[in-house]
Amino acid sequence: MKVAFFPGCVSKGACPELYVSANLIAEPLGLELHELTQAPCTGAGVLSEQNPELADALNGLTLAMAEAEGADLMTICSTCQGVLSNHNYKFAHDEARLERANATIADQGFRYGGTTKVKHLLWMLFEDIGEDRIRAAIKRKLTGLKIAPFYGCYILRPVESLGLKERPERKGYLERLITMLGAEAVEYKGATKCCGFPMITFNRDKALAMGGNHIIEAKEKGADLLVTPCPLCHLNLDGQQPDAARVLKKDIGVPIFHLPQLLGLAFGFEPDQLRLNHHVVSTKGALEKVELKV
Amino acid sequence: MQFTIEVGRYNSEGIYADTAVPGRSFPPPWDKSPERRYQTYTVELPEHAVVLDALIAIREYQDPSLAVRCACRSAICGSCAMWINGHANLACKSKLAAFTNDGKTRVESPPSMPLIRDLVCDMTPFWEKHLAVKPWLENKEPIPPANEEYRVPNAAMDELIQEVSCISCSACLMDCESFAVNPDFLGPQALAQAYRYVGDPRDDKTKERLAELSKPGGIWDCTHCYECVTQCPKGVAPLDQILKLRKLAVDAGFTNNAGTRHADAFASSVKHSGRLNELTLLPLSTGIFNIIGQLKTLPSAFNMARAGKLPPLIHKAIPGVERIRKIFQRVGGRFK
Amino acid sequence: MGAGLAGMRAALEAARAGANVAIVTKVHPIRSHSSAAQGGINAAISEDDTWESHAFDTVKGSDYLADQDAVEVMCREAPSDIIEFEHMGVIFYRNEEGKLGRRAFGGASLARTYFVGDITGQALLVTLYDQILKAGVKVYEEWFATALHMEDGACRGLIALEMVTGELHLLRSKAVIVASGGLGRLYEPSTNALICTGDGYSLAYRAGAPLMDMAMVQYHPTTLAGSGFLMTEAARGEGAYLLNSEGDRFMKKYAPNKMELAARDVTSRAEATEIAEGRGIDGNVLLDLRHLGRDVILKKLPQIHEMALDYLDIDMIEQPVPVRPGMHYQMGGIQTNVDGATKVPGIYAAGEVACVSVHGGNRLGANSLLDTIVFGRRSGKASAEYAKSVPQSGGGEDLLRREQARLTDLLSRPYTGETCAGLRLELATMMDAKVGLYRSDAGLKEALQALHGFRKRYENVAVGDKGRIFNQALTFVLELGFMLDCGETIIHDALHRTESRGAHTRVDHPERNDQEWLKHSLLTFRESGEPALSHVPVTLTRWKPEVRTY
Repeated sequence: MKVAFFPGCVSKGACPELYVSANLIAEPLGLELHELTQAPCTGAGVLSEQNPELADALNGLTLAMAEAEGADLMTICSTCQGVLSNHNYKFAHDEARLERANATIADQGFRYGGTTKVKHLLWMLFEDIGEDRIRAAIKRKLTGLKIAPFYGCYILRPVESLGLKERPERKGYLERLITMLGAEAVEYKGATKCCGFPMITFNRDKALAMGGNHIIEAKEKGADLLVTPCPLCHLNLDGQQPDAARVLKKDIGVPIFHLPQLLGLAFGFEPDQLRLNHHVVSTKGALEKVELKV
Repeated sequence: MQFTIEVGRYNSEGIYADTAVPGRSFPPPWDKSPERRYQTYTVELPEHAVVLDALIAIREYQDPSLAVRCACRSAICGSCAMWINGHANLACKSKLAAFTNDGKTRVESPPSMPLIRDLVCDMTPFWEKHLAVKPWLENKEPIPPANEEYRVPNAAMDELIQEVSCISCSACLMDCESFAVNPDFLGPQALAQAYRYVGDPRDDKTKERLAELSKPGGIWDCTHCYECVTQCPKGVAPLDQILKLRKLAVDAGFTNNAGTRHADAFASSVKHSGRLNELTLLPLSTGIFNIIGQLKTLPSAFNMARAGKLPPLIHKAIPGVERIRKIFQRVGGRFK
Repeated sequence: MGAGLAGMRAALEAARAGANVAIVTKVHPIRSHSSAAQGGINAAISEDDTWESHAFDTVKGSDYLADQDAVEVMCREAPSDIIEFEHMGVIFYRNEEGKLGRRAFGGASLARTYFVGDITGQALLVTLYDQILKAGVKVYEEWFATALHMEDGACRGLIALEMVTGELHLLRSKAVIVASGGLGRLYEPSTNALICTGDGYSLAYRAGAPLMDMAMVQYHPTTLAGSGFLMTEAARGEGAYLLNSEGDRFMKKYAPNKMELAARDVTSRAEATEIAEGRGIDGNVLLDLRHLGRDVILKKLPQIHEMALDYLDIDMIEQPVPVRPGMHYQMGGIQTNVDGATKVPGIYAAGEVACVSVHGGNRLGANSLLDTIVFGRRSGKASAEYAKSVPQSGGGEDLLRREQARLTDLLSRPYTGETCAGLRLELATMMDAKVGLYRSDAGLKEALQALHGFRKRYENVAVGDKGRIFNQALTFVLELGFMLDCGETIIHDALHRTESRGAHTRVDHPERNDQEWLKHSLLTFRESGEPALSHVPVTLTRWKPEVRTY
């Protein structure tokens, strides 16, 4: 299945493990990744807020590029998913807005016709690839692991632009996947909450407390690790975890996995292939539970 | 139809009803423990009944000791906001059938607000934050005479209907993630009401308001999580108002804050290379002269480097970056 | 006492006049029922309009029971009062010139209703609350008034239960403005909130202030089927039709000129007749807005659109909405002059609880919001002036002790099987059946008997919660007591008024009888229980009573 692959900035910057594992799992999932190498950053909502017209043009360009590929746009980041869905939704409901964006990108030879579907890998697993294919690809069941899902705000809210009114089941895909891979999904309130990343530069301590609290809640419910479809969440939850522990004056020490890394493990890839040895919070303890070394 | 509803109970006095009421599901006298607990009731109601119908039925015929604020029953007075299955909603607008998980509905006072009793929370933090943004019109001069209205286009009044629709139910604050870790955050309702006045052409204190709102606890302490937008029963979309305020504040020159620097750093990175450069984003947002701020981020930078997660020092531009730069030139605004 | 539009406006005015004023309210001001008013507020602001025309419409709407001098005051002062609210920041709808824009409403000779979408009451209330904050007026929030403090025949304060602590307080003042709103919970169904329990009527009545024209209870023509929620008259103002089961706009039979925008009593009776004669649909008629189109509905009537979706799963853009008459408003109330003063020194009243009388036998839509702000202001000013001339009370402690004992007694009553909610429902159902749209001598006598029966049973109602903190079970029982007083006065008034006028329709006296009944009825409390009945003539200025057709 061909997809217009939009890896986002962070998977090519501070989270290379995401990019690597996303590429590895493409084959077992039957995904043909056509990377949109010339597509710009979505602006992560920051640009949309300060200059909506600029963000419209940038994201309109990306959407047009995917449209030119004739394939769905696949994201591997909740934030990219959220921002692109948001702009796509606005374009679909405001012709004038789409026209203005197109006017800006016209002389670069692009025009967005409004047909691109933006789908996170997480959604594609259930809506396009299908459970049968996933099950067929599983070589290593993750039995014995207790995994806490952490969605990331922008793949859950706002509901309208993410199509959650039509497809409310999207709110439960992580749990379904975890169970399918043979592990136990941990139920806890923080699963749908905010990691604090948007605030990390404005109010560092509070942002760290936010993410840290959710991990601790998952830990207290028995989680061995958290899995997240958003590398920005990953940066806050993994990269900043030791600082969060310091701010909260509590031990945390719970590893954070990217969604493709979890799939990769189940599909038989080795931890170092998936760069699970390149996290700030060690994944060793969790991997040992499925008899893997890192 | 029968519905099962689990209600969070609390009474510091520990005294509950001690008279026998037919149909009650627990024997009198009730135990006098003051701890919070859940009590389960079953009610027989039509299938389209809402949570409030159940609570009223319970307190009228089963358990008169259940305290819950409610008045209009039709989503205009804002009294009955509470946690229903873990998210803040108006009880009078939440259909029991839609809020049944594993055969029951759980209601309780949200943990983010101080608790008076049962489902009655202490709304003082909410009202204090509302007051803090000086939510009243500071009339622009010249004030028209007593028999004449200000002349304003309907579009300007129309634009504010969204904010004026707020019924102060507090669902947004109850589920606000920033408020949960930062009690000093003004919160979604107060900020939405601040925009209501900033956006009113008849108000004279726009600059002063924006200056205040740019301070700690204000518009830059929002974590952009959309909980308020999702939970608001009246479509006020507080986050959208906060974002409008941010743009207005920056345009008005209130730029000496991490929020503005963050946006600037972001934009300049994308303009230069088409992509975000995380290496420079954090230090630039913090502010190059903000030594303490910079020092605070050093440990995590060190951890990232050690794990091999530091982005390449030489930040490469994406192929075709000229397109991006052209877009910035065209519509980049202050990011040009 | 009361923090709705009338109460807050009065407090603001009193504060401006230099008085030390506090608001005592049993719910937070924003929760007041004023927020439920939807359609708009009337005033003769426009150049093509005159206050005389507004006044005439109001007088005719009242079926000539309104005091014309009071109506003149209200209509003359309406424009400046509304502009004042605009200056306070209310986001009124504008026309192309940027001036206040208007919509049509019932019983009006031309469109003079100013509005904010279909949330006018709420828009006014939140703006006024913000002004109260700006002025720093003290609000005793969630303090439930249980008694008025009387000293030497004058009112010098009140006793209130602080809900959060359960402590009873004596608040001494030189005057009390009663602005506690209506009594809708006395009827079932009703558009009113659960808090509209007639507290002020009963407290003032028992303190010696006569209640006037209590029989005049308005049924709103368009309340949502089932729940009874208000579907604003503004829907008809924007052009909605009322249809019977045959798809006919039946109002052509009852009000060929004004059609759906006739006075509310006329419209409600028309609907009831259609339903009774078999042209209803499950006891309702239909409100059809489809021809208004999506834009008008979503822009001008968003709240009711959402309500029909939420509570009946009906999208009024696609389907007509089932509605029926439901009890909505009390035209009668505590007798006051145009400055809110009652017969009892120290008691003032404003808003729905008061009867000036500007609404007489039937209130026009969008005149209630006007009533609250005009007479709220006037009573605030007058009571502040009055307060300058009278001494502060030194007493009240024994009243406090007596109230404390009364509440303690109430709390210690044993459970006998009688529930407060069950008794109220019986009372309210009875009132709707026998003291509602259509009344008769026999029915009213039965009603009175039933009410006395309820009073006896009320003595046995126990309070199911024995605690101090936020004891709602206690306040519900107190509220039921207030409702019984209201019911008693309404029935007596309806029984003795042997004519039909405005909202009061006697099937045994179907004609209006100006010769005998162009007068107000006053009901004064007597210890024996039965109110003393007396009358005062209606004040006529310019308009002689005419036959009233729409």
